[in-house]
Amino acid sequence: MNDMIDSAILLTMCIFALLAIQARLLRNAIIHLAVLSVLAAFLYMRIAAPELAIAEAVIGSGLVTLLYLAALKRNRVYTIGVVGDQNARHLADPYMHHLMRTHALREIREFFLIREYQLQIVFVPEALDEALRNDAYDLILQEDDSDIVAYTDDESYIMMELEMLIQMRGAHSGLRFERYQQATPEMERIDTAGI
Amino acid sequence: MKNETITADSIILQLAIGLLFPFMLLFGFYIILNGHYTPGGGFQGGGILASLFIARYIIFPVEDTDSEMLHTIQRIFLSAILLVPLCLLFTGVLAQYPNMQKHYLTLMDILIGVQVGFGLGVAVLRFAFFQGSGQTWHL
Repeated sequence: MNDMIDSAILLTMCIFALLAIQARLLRNAIIHLAVLSVLAAFLYMRIAAPELAIAEAVIGSGLVTLLYLAALKRNRVYTIGVVGDQNARHLADPYMHHLMRTHALREIREFFLIREYQLQIVFVPEALDEALRNDAYDLILQEDDSDIVAYTDDESYIMMELEMLIQMRGAHSGLRFERYQQATPEMERIDTAGI
Repeated sequence: MKNETITADSIILQLAIGLLFPFMLLFGFYIILNGHYTPGGGFQGGGILASLFIARYIIFPVEDTDSEMLHTIQRIFLSAILLVPLCLLFTGVLAQYPNMQKHYLTLMDILIGVQVGFGLGVAVLRFAFFQGSGQTWHL
């Protein structure tokens, strides 16, 4: 009977491990890992190792779960806004395809892919001034005569890294960086300072 | 848009962690103080205290904690962990008073618990607000 209970716990642990791997949302995966940890703690208690059980419960399902949740809170989707060129404001799919084929966009996407950051590229319906004042975009692109101008926040850490990478790759990328000061309230500034 | 993604998805989390917060504090100190005759002890209790720092970051992500001060406290406790056994064990004070054993173990548990809790807490806060860059991390 005791063996059966132990086997059942082990089997449930395997199921939760598989669920954590297969989970579509990262948050679900974290919860599955926490349940896995609690089951492991229960198993340790059953085989008379209470000290280890409490350590597993505290570290595995308490500390690590909260740490993952805090990390998940920091992980967010970076939004790149594309402003239509001044001559013809046609934000249609053909224009987007043309933009995607450019060297600059390929560089940017590669940069985000290597670092495993999520990236979404959206059209900006507003004019450039309004878009710069809007907080929602991390990087704003506008096609100039010859090359693409990228407007970045003054304090954005990751965009600084991107700019350095583009500069290292040489001048042929066709991407030019412009910085602007983003006037944000104090509370927001703290939260987004390290990005 | 940025703010929506930060707050909207975690209101349940915030409420649940806010409710659990005092109980976690109590449980952490219970494990530290009873570590010498029940399962648990300094490290496990310290882990719970450290998870309080992370919980606080999840509920209220404002950097108003003086992490330098926490770091200093953690260093003081670390040196106390080295100094207290040196003073009590190797000078033979503890051998003269055998009924002091329990108090000695409780004291060591408290020292280790606070050191582990503040150490992990400072590490997490630095990870959260500075991404580990900037000042170097040393004991």
